[in-house]
Amino acid sequence: MRHLIAAILVGTALVAGAQTLSAHHAGTMFDEEQTKELTGTIKEFQFTNPHSWIQVIVESKPGEAPKEWSIEWGSPNQLARQGVRPTTFKAGSKVTIKVHPMRDGSPAGSFVAAKFEDGTNIGRWE
Amino acid sequence: MRVFSAAVLVTLLAASAARAQTVGGLPDWSGVWQMVGGTVFDRATQAGQGGALSHGVRERPPYNAEWEKRYQRNLKLRDEDHLPDPINTCGTPAGFPRIFNVPDTLEFVVRPEQTWILTENGPNVVRFYTDGRQHPAPEDRWPTYTGDSVGHWEGDTLVVDTVSIRNSNYPEAGDTVLDRTGLILSDAAHIVTRIRKTPDDMIEVRLTIEDPKALTMPWNVTKTFRRMPKGTRVYDYACAENNRNPVDAATGRTLILGPDGKPLGVQK
Repeated sequence: MRHLIAAILVGTALVAGAQTLSAHHAGTMFDEEQTKELTGTIKEFQFTNPHSWIQVIVESKPGEAPKEWSIEWGSPNQLARQGVRPTTFKAGSKVTIKVHPMRDGSPAGSFVAAKFEDGTNIGRWE
Repeated sequence: MRVFSAAVLVTLLAASAARAQTVGGLPDWSGVWQMVGGTVFDRATQAGQGGALSHGVRERPPYNAEWEKRYQRNLKLRDEDHLPDPINTCGTPAGFPRIFNVPDTLEFVVRPEQTWILTENGPNVVRFYTDGRQHPAPEDRWPTYTGDSVGHWEGDTLVVDTVSIRNSNYPEAGDTVLDRTGLILSDAAHIVTRIRKTPDDMIEVRLTIEDPKALTMPWNVTKTFRRMPKGTRVYDYACAENNRNPVDAATGRTLILGPDGKPLGVQK
């Protein structure tokens, strides 16, 4: 597992630089100058083409209902070569995820990094 | 004599091993390959910093005034984030010559009668016929995304002649581009492609593009491909599987669909 996470870490750093060339679409709806941290529970990991999506139920302020976020990631072929698997984000697991959020404030963003409860992380956590 | 025999034996074994990997004495391009560099089609003439989507980046094909104007229209749309990539429909092929400008993996399947290029992204396939056939007569062919390609071998180099690609007045519906800067060609384009494996184990693709409608002189572009690690697997790229990024026909912008399948917000 440690090797897998290390592979993902290195691989994601490589892919991050190549994101715009390999993405299915322009990433202009995401604000790459902003990074937002979300804490919540994985609802579903859609390991699908042309993009993977991480659906997270994000905890809100007291008194507010939790909100579902859609977080876009790479295509399975690219992610698989970096060690990502359909089981990388398990439904029900607690996670903190960094995203570049949508410019219009919608509950969506592009994936930057994630940290699990056991301290392991994926992507450019820093 | 014994030394001589050993040398002959080694040579014969080596030749035998080479034959085992190829068909009909053709070069061995097996394995999985990946384009070097980003998806700016003609990196040699690139102006501006960044990739094909970066504002201000453009290339310098020898366009005539009319097609330079068309390219500038596309560049302006790209700079406004209003130039959707036609392949985002998850239906139309990358086409020719964009087949040499896609990310992810490529495979070259070499047979005496035909060579195929298979790309993971798309996926796309093009066929280069080398069985001696000629292009169909003009009245028997029509513009397609991949065009019509016939080729022959000159030593270890595959020489391919391509015609009948689609005229592009992109972003009109059904038209296509060579890259995400909005680079386009007309249906009069005639492309000669020379493909070989270089001594440093790269696949080199040299394109000479003539286009009497769009270009004032031949446009030469070279693309190179590096070998991916042995054992690399090629996966599905079923673009329509879960495309949550349809293009908004009214604005040309890419949308993001939320978990309920409805667009999230409206892009400004």
